[in-house]
Amino acid sequence: MSVGLALRSGVAILVFIFQGAIAPGHAQSSSPASPEIVEIERRGRGTTVYFNAWAGDEAINRYIAWAAREINRRYGVTLVHVKVADIAEAVTRILAERAAGRLSEGSVDLLWLNGENFAALRNANLLYGPWVDRVPNARLIDTLGNPTTIRDFTLPTDGYELAWGSARFTLFYDSAAVLDPPRDPKSLLAWIWAHPGRFTYPRPPNFLGTSFIEQLLLLLVPDPGRVQHPVGSDFAAVTRPLWAWLDAAQPAMWRRGRLFPPSGPAQRELLGVGELDWTMAFNPLEGSRAIAQHELPDTVRGTSFSGGALANSHFLAIPANARNPDGAMVVANFLLSAEAQVRKADVSVWGDPTVLDITVLSESDRRLFGEQSAASDQGPGGVLSEPHPSWSAELEREWIARYGVR
Amino acid sequence: MKPVALALVFAFAGIPVLAGVGVTLVEAANPVAWKALLQYPGIGRTVAVSAWTGCVATIVALGLAHLTVGLAAAAARAERLRTLILPLIALPHLALAIGLVLVLSPSGLILRLLSPWATGFHLPPDWQTVQDPWGLSLILGLIVKETPFLVLMLLGARAQFPVDRLMLQSRSLGYGPMKAWWVSVAPLLQRRIRLPLTAVFVFAVTNVEMAIPLGPAMPPPLGVVVWQWFTASRLELRAQAFAGSVLLLVVALGALAAAWGGTCLARLVLRAYAESGHRELRAERPFRVLALLVGVPFTFAISAMAALALRAVSAMWRFPALVGDHLELRLVAQLAPSLKMALGSTVTLACSTAIAAIALVTLINESLIDDVRWRTRIGVLLFAPLLLPQLAFLFGLQSLLVRLGLDGTWVAVGWEHTLFELPYVWGLLAAARKQLDSRLILTARTLGAGGLRSWRAVTLPLLLRPTLLAGAVAFGVSAALYLPTLFAGGGRVMTVATEATSAASSGNLRLAAAYGAAQAFAPLIALLFATLIGRAAFSGRQGVPR
Repeated sequence: MSVGLALRSGVAILVFIFQGAIAPGHAQSSSPASPEIVEIERRGRGTTVYFNAWAGDEAINRYIAWAAREINRRYGVTLVHVKVADIAEAVTRILAERAAGRLSEGSVDLLWLNGENFAALRNANLLYGPWVDRVPNARLIDTLGNPTTIRDFTLPTDGYELAWGSARFTLFYDSAAVLDPPRDPKSLLAWIWAHPGRFTYPRPPNFLGTSFIEQLLLLLVPDPGRVQHPVGSDFAAVTRPLWAWLDAAQPAMWRRGRLFPPSGPAQRELLGVGELDWTMAFNPLEGSRAIAQHELPDTVRGTSFSGGALANSHFLAIPANARNPDGAMVVANFLLSAEAQVRKADVSVWGDPTVLDITVLSESDRRLFGEQSAASDQGPGGVLSEPHPSWSAELEREWIARYGVR
Repeated sequence: MKPVALALVFAFAGIPVLAGVGVTLVEAANPVAWKALLQYPGIGRTVAVSAWTGCVATIVALGLAHLTVGLAAAAARAERLRTLILPLIALPHLALAIGLVLVLSPSGLILRLLSPWATGFHLPPDWQTVQDPWGLSLILGLIVKETPFLVLMLLGARAQFPVDRLMLQSRSLGYGPMKAWWVSVAPLLQRRIRLPLTAVFVFAVTNVEMAIPLGPAMPPPLGVVVWQWFTASRLELRAQAFAGSVLLLVVALGALAAAWGGTCLARLVLRAYAESGHRELRAERPFRVLALLVGVPFTFAISAMAALALRAVSAMWRFPALVGDHLELRLVAQLAPSLKMALGSTVTLACSTAIAAIALVTLINESLIDDVRWRTRIGVLLFAPLLLPQLAFLFGLQSLLVRLGLDGTWVAVGWEHTLFELPYVWGLLAAARKQLDSRLILTARTLGAGGLRSWRAVTLPLLLRPTLLAGAVAFGVSAALYLPTLFAGGGRVMTVATEATSAASSGNLRLAAAYGAAQAFAPLIALLFATLIGRAAFSGRQGVPR
């Protein structure tokens, strides 16, 4: 058996050397191979990677399961999707392991995160890296066109996390019920009062709910530049218009604002059964995907505020105490390949927009994306960048203090 | 034999619980954390909601359980009742809770059945029928889940008393059957179920699994709040979470003290009722009406299962259609690979831990057969994981496992599962063993069989049915365990319970329904197997204890 294994890895090395040899001929190939990644892939072969990722959406779970099969077939790495209800669970586990003095052999090899959770781990110095430069496919990322791929909620990623997908806050409505969709906070408030009980948002600190109030904050503050810097003693003054809006909307919302759905998928379910006319997601293609999979009525449409949609990226990171950083990098490299990114962006699979710069891809890879971009809905309006992560925590605290007890 | 058995029990069941509580107390000794805890918005309401829902649910469930057993005894239906409730006991908490959400919510099964023909609703009304601020939906869920368990415990206690003779005596004194039951039999049984009743009560006050989907959310019950702190990504919340679990322990103890006061009061009332001398021959009718109430938990449990199935096969469950337009098994088919894996680890864990629990209980049972005092002590010790709020020792135990490098291993998960199965296995097997006619074993010994041989030839076959049943119940307990699996497993050991809860807590009801159905299905199969094997082994024999 070990002979077979050695033989197989030997063949694999030959294959990689061969690929490496032809790579220079295709300088802009979608899967550039460097000597270093070959070495990493060699070390990763036969190992297991525990990938901690939010598992609330079956479309995403299926995508990860597909990636796991491909990665196992191509690189001999076993990818285990550790399903968490909130990535904070995994962050807590990493923190607890450090508190218990476990500096290596941690239980998490790779995790899917952004914003607050990245800031928490980065500030506690609990991330492995910088490693992004060691992953060849990271060079295909569109860092110029999409700066959120290297600035996570204003914090520079510094090579400690790798952008996996890009997101844009999008509202979805049932066009059979919402004939003239409001595109700014004021007209949304008017719509809510005209249709009591048909609008709500996920309960903060759920990340989507927090994003919704951040999106409102960015549209309502007189000086949006202020929230790009850490929160300060002017928190109350800056956020006053936000609370005024929420106070005004509260009584006309679903369950009169006495209950909020726990998450995005929960709100999508409420739209599906007919309790609501609106849902929201960080993925502009979420509506198309849900319609394609018969989860939402085909009258559902996406929209965003005319003042601009909150945009960010979501990332992959490796904890400092990971048992298998090599395997994790093999997985990350595959997830950033054109092939994996095309499939991720497919609305019949997941519908999460790519972070790659399509212009630097090889001809054949570009063609894959070309077919898709016709179907993707870019949505109107500009893009707003996320506030500094310190705002999320403060907004969540204040939200719970104001609305958490009804 | 005896010292070995005792040492095993302490090492296996005593130490982890004690150590877990110890670590929790140490970690909670942090004034800053307590200050933050007491300043948390709505902490008073949170505590009140926990105590209120737990108390009401336990009182109602206990009343219903007594009524059920009393009526069944009056109608000589006790055995049939037992067969009827076992599947309900095997139903995991979470699956039931999700099912109830799908029944009770404004877009749920009940209003769908009535709409639009009776209600005129084409859209679900904006009613807060689940997660209501009074916790009524949570109370209903707890009643549905706990009544069958208490019925089983009462039936077990019933077998230990000459119930028929007591009833006959009371009847010959002229009392109506229901009064005879309440005055002469019920108090005896009540005394016997104190331990499981306390476990039910503590669970009702402190649970997380049923409170997440069904309980109030603004603010949630204390158990849920503590659980959220434990899983939040901010380190400073950890100490606060440990302080919260100590508060949870205090709330549970306070509720128990109140319950003790309540029982004293109930005793006075019952005595006055007994001493009034009224024969109550005509009081039958109100009880017949009450008999309808007995059906409530059963009806809700069955509709919850139906709703789970309907939701799992409907891609979109548009109100008021009973079944979605796109009726499909696609989700189930797509889930097949991960379901297969989750079911595989669930079955492996449940079978191996059930065997371990049965082996340990059998060892204690045989070596302590005559030692009544130690038997009682062991019973309390084994019940400890159920008598304490799970959150009060699981996280302490967890930080211990991390320090020992044992977290994320199957051994740790298996250990914690066995810990939670032991009280059930002990409850069922110890009672069955005590009821065995000791003259049978004596006869075997007089015929020259040694200790081991008489055990193998007489005790074992006689205990086969209760053992199989205990195994099936242990299987069900293991399949339902969420918190211990998640923590000891470091997220790596994925069972149907962890999958269902992660789907439910991220709010994906359809996914949760699919996993919930699988979670409910597995223990039912185990129970069916246990029953069939038991029947096959003893077909055509009379008087073998069931």
